[in-house]
Amino acid sequence: MTSDVMELDGVSVRYKSRKSFFRHDYFSALEDVSFTIKKGETLGIIGTNGCGKSTLLKVLANIYGVDGGKVTWHCRQVSLLALALGFDAELSGRDNAVISGMFLGGRKKEVLEKLDEIIEFSELEEFIDKPIKTYSNGMRARLGFSVAVNMHSELLLIDEVMGVGDGKFRRKAENAMINKISSNQTVVLVSHAMEQVKKLCDRVLWLDAGKVKMLGDTELILHEYNQFLKQH
Amino acid sequence: MFISKAHLVEVFFTKLVLNLKSEASKTYLSYIWWLLEPALMVAVFYLVFAIFLARGTPDFIIFLVCGKIPFLWFSKSISNASRSIVVGRGLINQVSIPMPFFPLLVVFQDAFKQTIVFAFMFTFFAIYGLEISWVWLSVIFIILTQLLLISAMSLLVAAITPFLPDFKYLIGTALLALMFGSGIFYSYKDVLLPQHQQLFLMNPVANLLKNYRQVLMENTQPDWTALVVICLASVALITAMTLYYRKAGTVYARLVAQ
Repeated sequence: MTSDVMELDGVSVRYKSRKSFFRHDYFSALEDVSFTIKKGETLGIIGTNGCGKSTLLKVLANIYGVDGGKVTWHCRQVSLLALALGFDAELSGRDNAVISGMFLGGRKKEVLEKLDEIIEFSELEEFIDKPIKTYSNGMRARLGFSVAVNMHSELLLIDEVMGVGDGKFRRKAENAMINKISSNQTVVLVSHAMEQVKKLCDRVLWLDAGKVKMLGDTELILHEYNQFLKQH
Repeated sequence: MFISKAHLVEVFFTKLVLNLKSEASKTYLSYIWWLLEPALMVAVFYLVFAIFLARGTPDFIIFLVCGKIPFLWFSKSISNASRSIVVGRGLINQVSIPMPFFPLLVVFQDAFKQTIVFAFMFTFFAIYGLEISWVWLSVIFIILTQLLLISAMSLLVAAITPFLPDFKYLIGTALLALMFGSGIFYSYKDVLLPQHQQLFLMNPVANLLKNYRQVLMENTQPDWTALVVICLASVALITAMTLYYRKAGTVYARLVAQ
């Protein structure tokens, strides 16, 4: 039995954009990307802007199909951690929390059981039955974060979502997320915050122009990456 | 990525209920619009054709309701479904979800509203004094046939629009042409030459409207052969579209994101 939750073998993804009526331009976002994700590990993905990090996360989440290569999932549930997933401004915070939790992989019963915890974490008890169109951006983000951090997935994919809200809530959110990542949860974390990557990740994958530049020990790769950033 | 089909079905029906709730909360008259909108459409058609153009026959209002109400269901569902994948781009880019989820959500939302409209339509017919008989039960099969046809066509148009954004303009024109070509405010038997009538009835919407009238106004059995043919063709299209979405479903996330 394999301890890998996912394998990528020579994966490539390209975007098509229309130039004129019949002519298209192609842009290669990922090229020949191969690696595996091991059960229980936290894999960091680093790279400069536009190197393909977000595209890679979407491939891992089975949101994007691939144009070449193969992705094999050995787990049944992968969630891309998204705030305010499926939120509808006309509906109450409670209704939105339920549907968002379900989109993040929870069964209805499970989300309803966790609802009190979610509401308490968000500190929105007074407003939870009001439509979220009456919420401020910060309040929406708090609710979205509270749902996301309370849902469980076999493989959790995180794209720079480390904390939301202001002062006290931000620290609480960051701590909750760090606790989640540090647990036995398998996580793929895309981040520009090198200190966080160093602290949380067991291995790091460095993407450069859609290709795997390096993969392996966190300290070594972060050192090489920092050298690269100084030179460029 | 959903754990199981049961989970997906649960999400589908929860989202369906919440969408209906959300839609109703956007207006002052809320759920009343589900009935008021088709009633107003029928009223406008009645005013134009029965009064201004003096085309009214004794039971013209019933004739019009039998045609306009099912047609509105068809046209609104197709129009909404054609935009469903593009409208759902926020979700599509954040969660792995089978593409038929979006057009079918629209189809079921509209079907739910239509159930209430039909209930009022039958009540209106009863109050109007139409003779109610056991034959009326066969209207259930006509409604289910129409639901199958709407589902099949919705899956098709939803698949095309993200590739060809211009298609949304054609849909509007096609639905308008369909409205004129389905015999909503005229009887095809009075207007068309006998040799053209079979051709007219090859339009499945026109055929369904004929069957609604046959059952509700004339108290006669529907054309079962035609209904079975429409059902089979719809099931074949649904199967083909399901296979297509299974093969090409993940293309849409990139397509609607760009």
